[in-house]
Amino acid sequence: MKIQFKGIKFLIIVLVLYIILLLSDTTHALSGLQKAASILLSLLPLFLLIITLTALINYFLKPKQIIKHFGKDSGAKGVFYALIGGIISHGPMYAWYGMLQDMRSHGLKEGLIAVFMYARAVKLPLLPFMVDLFGLLFTIVMTFYILIAAVLQGKVIDTVEKKQS
Amino acid sequence: MKEETPTLKKAFTKSLMSFISITPMLIAVMGLVGLMQIYVTPDILSTFFGHGSLADTLVGTLAGAISMGQGVISYVVAEGLMEQGVSHYALSAFILAWVTLGFVQLPAEASVFGLRFTFYRNILTLISTIIIAYATVLTVGALS
Repeated sequence: MKIQFKGIKFLIIVLVLYIILLLSDTTHALSGLQKAASILLSLLPLFLLIITLTALINYFLKPKQIIKHFGKDSGAKGVFYALIGGIISHGPMYAWYGMLQDMRSHGLKEGLIAVFMYARAVKLPLLPFMVDLFGLLFTIVMTFYILIAAVLQGKVIDTVEKKQS
Repeated sequence: MKEETPTLKKAFTKSLMSFISITPMLIAVMGLVGLMQIYVTPDILSTFFGHGSLADTLVGTLAGAISMGQGVISYVVAEGLMEQGVSHYALSAFILAWVTLGFVQLPAEASVFGLRFTFYRNILTLISTIIIAYATVLTVGALS
């Protein structure tokens, strides 16, 4: 199986940036490198989870089923799944790109990717922090608006996609 | 055409290959996030605020978009900013932008989902963040 790597140019740019910083600002560059390594280590379990989740989706959901549940005609059910997925998904957004890319190649519509991405603004483990900082009413209202915005973003992205295709 | 049923092993291999294909991009993003966390500190962020609620909301959105790290850090920073008297509009925008926008991951998003999707999604997210920040504060003000 041939692997087509993504982001090679981006990686080269970042490497060049690090080389320049290592020469000009060694202390900060090394600290940055250390931070990056600790981020990588902390994300390894999440990466493993995402690889497993993607494999299970591939195994249990045939492309036809992905189209049915998350494709053009998935309707409100697809939006609901994307909202729930976004809310419960953990870790940084870029960690989920691989799974979303895989599902998109099987028919996941772009509007649902946008719904998933914006619904991630509702961070369940962080809700107590928000309540503590802004209060319960504020947290409930903001969560409500986030979910509405997520659905609207999905609609707009789908409309743009329809117009372009 | 008959649809091929993958074995669990094949599904895992395919998933692993798909993940490996985006590793250069992930490493690049993590490298940039590491640098951003070193250079864009909470102290630096707090110097951008204090220019009125509208300007602070825009600053909050941009500051959240350029900051990277665990979501919990955004609350720690926001608490410090709140003590300095930064408006709720700006703080809401800052926290929202922290988790939904990310300038550092834009090239990665574009390389996976394409320029058009990335452009529209991020513009919509930027607008949503500002609207939600204002709508939330105004709604809470009206309800309480």
